[in-house]
Amino acid sequence: MPKKILVVDDDPSVVKYLTAFLEDSGYETITASNGEEAFEILKSERADLVTLDLQMPNETGTRFYRNVTKDKNLKDIPIIVISGLAGRHLAVTKPVAVFDKPVDRNALLKVVRETIG
Amino acid sequence: MSTLRNEDFKRLLDSIPCYITLQDKDLKILWSNEFHRRDFGEPEGYTCRDFYNIDSSKCEICPVHNTFLDGNIHSKEMTLITKKGKRINVIIYSSPLRDENGIIEGVLETAVNISPVKEIQKQLIMLGQTVAGMAHSIKNIMMGLDGGIYIVNRGLEDKNQKEVREGWEIVLLNFEKISQIVKDILYCSKEREPNFAVVSPNKIVSDIYHLFKDTAARYAIEFKLELDETIESAVLDPDGLTNVLSNLVSNAMDACKMDIMKDKHLIELRTKKGVDGAIVFEVADNGVGIDKELKDQVFEEFFSSKGDKGTGLGLMVVQKIMREHGGRVTFRSRPRQGTTFVATFPKREMPQPAE
Repeated sequence: MPKKILVVDDDPSVVKYLTAFLEDSGYETITASNGEEAFEILKSERADLVTLDLQMPNETGTRFYRNVTKDKNLKDIPIIVISGLAGRHLAVTKPVAVFDKPVDRNALLKVVRETIG
Repeated sequence: MSTLRNEDFKRLLDSIPCYITLQDKDLKILWSNEFHRRDFGEPEGYTCRDFYNIDSSKCEICPVHNTFLDGNIHSKEMTLITKKGKRINVIIYSSPLRDENGIIEGVLETAVNISPVKEIQKQLIMLGQTVAGMAHSIKNIMMGLDGGIYIVNRGLEDKNQKEVREGWEIVLLNFEKISQIVKDILYCSKEREPNFAVVSPNKIVSDIYHLFKDTAARYAIEFKLELDETIESAVLDPDGLTNVLSNLVSNAMDACKMDIMKDKHLIELRTKKGVDGAIVFEVADNGVGIDKELKDQVFEEFFSSKGDKGTGLGLMVVQKIMREHGGRVTFRSRPRQGTTFVATFPKREMPQPAE
C-alpha cells in the first residue's frame, strides 16, 4: 500500500504541484489549504507524513504544528516544512526538514524517501 | 580670543543650536543654554531626569555619570520629551569640565536633535523590509511557476491536453502575479504624469471583472458586478484606474481566502455617482476584515498583513494614483465581517491640448 502524504498549503498552485510530483513518485496524497482543515483531516485520516507551509494566513500553519506535536496520537507524524520565509522554522521545534520556496523537488523527495520509505 | 568676556561666552553657548547643560554628580542642572531653556524650561533645582521626563529605569547607562567616573567623553542616543510634549530623538555627548587642578567639577551634556536622521533611518529600514518581503513573495510565485511548468511537462509526456491546460493556467496566474509586483514597484519608484483621457468607467470596471472572474471562481468566491448604467464617461487615467481596481480586488480576494470562518464568500464591484459629478468605485468583500489595531496602518507605506504573500506596495500605489487624480480612497471594515474600499475620482474636464 502506498504511503500517504498530507500536503498543506494555501496556494492552490503549490498544492497541485506537490501532489502531482509526490503522486508521480509513488505516494498517495491528501490536501488541506490551511492548518485548521489539516488538523481536522488528521483526526479522521491517517497520514504518514505532512508537508507544511508555515506562512499561511492567520498563522494556522504554526498553530497546526503545535497542535500536532502536542497530540499524543499525531505527534509522531513526520513534518516537512516548506516555506518562503527562511528562518521561519525557528517558530516550531524539530521538523524533519525545512525547505525554502521554491523547493528543490529532488532534495524533497530524498528526504521523504529517507523518512517514510 | 582672550578678550572675550564672561558675557560673550554665555551668548556664544546660548546661540549653539544644541541642548547644552552643565550637570553635577547628582545630575542636578547647574546651568543650561538658551536653546535648552526654550524647549525644556528653567533649570533651577531640577535634575536631568526631571527635565527629560525619564523614568529611572530608562537610564541604565548614564553618559554623564560615566564621564564623572572616567573623565572620558561618552555618548548615547535617546528620546526626549519637550515641555510641550513633543518627542525628539537626540544623541547625547557628555564631556568633563575640569578645574585648574584637573578635578572634574561638572559634566557638560550636549544633546543634538537627530529626529530627521531617525526619520530617514526608519524609511530605510522599511524599504529594506519591503525588498526582503518582495523577495519572499517572488520566491512563492517562483514555486507556483515551477509547479505550473511541472504539470505542463507531465501533460505533454502523457499527451494529456487537460493537464497541459491546467498547468499552463498555473503558469499564467503566477506570471500575472509577478507582473503586478513589477507594475507596483514602477508606480512607486517614479513620479509619473497620469494620462488623462475620456474613458468609460463602466467598461474598465467590466474588464477588471472579467479578468478576475475565473480566479474568483477557482477560490469559490462569488464575484458580482453592479454598474450604475447612467455613468457615461469620465476623464481619468485608464491605466491608473485599472491598477487601483486590480489592487483592491486582489486584496478583497486575499481577505476572503484568509477567512476560514464563513462558508460563502462574496466580492462586489460597484460603480456609483458621487457628489459634484464625482465617480465612485467600490470593492466590497465579506472576508476577514481589518482588525482595529491594524486600521491605522493600512495605508502606511510598505505595511502588509499577509506575511510573505504581500509586499505592502499595493495600497501605497492605490493611494498614489488617487492623489494624482485629486481623489481619495477610504475604507470601512468590521473584523471577521468584511471590508469595503471606496475610491472616489472627482469630476475633471479634459485638459485642452497645448498649442
